[in-house]
Amino acid sequence: MFDGLQLFAHSIANFATPVTIAYALGACLVGLIIGALPGLTATMGVALMTTLTIALPPNIALLILVCTYVGAIYGGSRTAILLNIPGTPASAASCLDGYALARQGLAGRAMGIATSGSVIGTWIGMLALATLTPVLGEAALKFGAYEFFWLALFGVVISGNLTGDDPLKGWIAGFLGLFVACIGQEGMYAYDRFTFGVHDLSGGISLIPALVGAFGFAEVLTVIKDRPPKIIINAFDTVIPRIQDVTRYWRTVIRSGLIGTGIGIVPGVGEDVAAWTSYAAARRASAEKEKFGKGSIEGLMAAETGDNACVPGSVIPVLTLAVPGSAPAAVLLAAMLIHGVQPGPLIMVNSPQFVYDVVTMMLFASVGILIYGLTLTQLLVKILQVPQTLVMPVVFVLCVVGSFAIASRMFDIYVMLAFGVLGFILRRFNYPMAPLVLGIVLGDLLDKNLRRGLTLSDGDLSPFFTRPISFVMFLLVAGTILMNVPAFSNTVSRLWAGAIAPLRRKSRGA
Amino acid sequence: MEEEKPSPFADLISGGVWLLFAIGIVAGSWTMDRLVHLKVPVYTAPGLVPGLLGISIAIMGLLMIVRAIRAGALAQAHLPAFSIREHWRLLTALAICFAFALGLMGHGLPFWLATAIFIAVFVFVFQFEERRATGTLLRGAAFAAMFGLICGGVIFYVFQEVFLVRLP
Repeated sequence: MFDGLQLFAHSIANFATPVTIAYALGACLVGLIIGALPGLTATMGVALMTTLTIALPPNIALLILVCTYVGAIYGGSRTAILLNIPGTPASAASCLDGYALARQGLAGRAMGIATSGSVIGTWIGMLALATLTPVLGEAALKFGAYEFFWLALFGVVISGNLTGDDPLKGWIAGFLGLFVACIGQEGMYAYDRFTFGVHDLSGGISLIPALVGAFGFAEVLTVIKDRPPKIIINAFDTVIPRIQDVTRYWRTVIRSGLIGTGIGIVPGVGEDVAAWTSYAAARRASAEKEKFGKGSIEGLMAAETGDNACVPGSVIPVLTLAVPGSAPAAVLLAAMLIHGVQPGPLIMVNSPQFVYDVVTMMLFASVGILIYGLTLTQLLVKILQVPQTLVMPVVFVLCVVGSFAIASRMFDIYVMLAFGVLGFILRRFNYPMAPLVLGIVLGDLLDKNLRRGLTLSDGDLSPFFTRPISFVMFLLVAGTILMNVPAFSNTVSRLWAGAIAPLRRKSRGA
Repeated sequence: MEEEKPSPFADLISGGVWLLFAIGIVAGSWTMDRLVHLKVPVYTAPGLVPGLLGISIAIMGLLMIVRAIRAGALAQAHLPAFSIREHWRLLTALAICFAFALGLMGHGLPFWLATAIFIAVFVFVFQFEERRATGTLLRGAAFAAMFGLICGGVIFYVFQEVFLVRLP
């Protein structure tokens, strides 16, 4: 406990230099603008910033990425409140009550609620990041090849299940990602798979160009294909958060923070699910259910706290298992690897200081969004009014530069273009992008660990099902899939209702 | 921003595409060298994982086809009429972006100039209708050129000079 505090204090002392603070504030601003502009997502923002910061020292580069990530998730709320358009998918739940408040002339108050919710959400997640990472890191040391195989599969299955409205399409996207990760030289025997003699494919499909294509170029095409709507911004009052908005709904704030963090820890699920789940939980528990969707302060607070708490939450599995909790966290993981940081079960053994460096980065990011939340409203409103015909070509140039800069290969630009077109088509057919990304990240883990596990057991499949953690993870994967089969889910619901009926009768009798 | 849901027929088509794609993966994995000469056991052969993934995608593609048929995909079977006029924005954006990324990048033209040309053309083309309606085409062209040059210069300076990132 005290070791952790000491490491945290050491990190703060290291980061508290004028240059670092300037980088953090600059990155928060960039993130906020990316998040606020409809069509630009946190994933794309973090991916582009990864290339921009490639020549910087690792700690500074990762600070910039974390600040961009937090800033982008927060920035999306501005557009949700002022325009009823989620700046990022994470802010979709904020549209419901944020825009309703804005229409009542309370846009400023809504932005204040979003600021306080986001900052407190980040702090709750940050606290979990500081306390849970060592614990989970220790638990992760028990993971072997069998468990990592199931973890990779679970990540893709749960991400496919929760990130879209059609699990089957989510799983197809996820498995496509796993297959994409198989292209190129495999890790055991250096054998070229599905390269068709193309030399550049031997190195595999790099994550950053694929991501920049799927989230950046695809978004440019999606935005530009329709004539942009006229932007009408509601008038707003003061944006300074009210303390009573937080104190009155403190239960909702804490619940949403915990839900957001918990969902962040689940591989590949991400901020949008965190926001919706927090919102739904707040509605279920609220004494003012009828206000939800019509300008509920509690609803907006829940959504904003949940999505920002998810950010530090999604970094926890990155650090402990090298498995991302969300799509932007996948880029963060790639950036860590590019900068020579080795996240995974050994992180608390080899570099515990780094974990607290990331906690400090989150702290700096939360202070950054608090400062901008109080001061930058007018500037953001002006930025929102910039026509998309001016923004989109610049975004595409950044996509090209971002793809090229990692390895200075023209081939990566071709990968970006291919994934952009593929991402655009998949989205038109309602396939979610997050499982695809997660699949690309986890493909290598799944491939190596399945074959490594089979080598260890001499081809025997039973350890995949008989080791305790493996068995639990297998049940999770099977349960996630089977719960989408109506006959199975109905039976489970009936059994569950039967099991809790005596308890209900007892509590009624009491 | 809400995307419209694809029809059962569209799902039928995409299910079919996945099935074909998956069959290709399985075939590729099956015929892949099993490295027997290196005494590699079959359960660690390079084609094992892609093959299993291919089988999984094939099953999901089949499920999608069955689901689409049960939702009435065959009754609504017709290919949507594709009109270039309706999709001109998308096709133009694709053409300009590909021309920039494949034609202008890495062929000797300085990055800032290639970027300036791309941005200017993009802005001018997508503001053309509006500018023509308001009779400000010339001003629009001048604005697009100026905007392109400023963006090209700023992106070049920030990436190459400030952050020392190599540009195409």
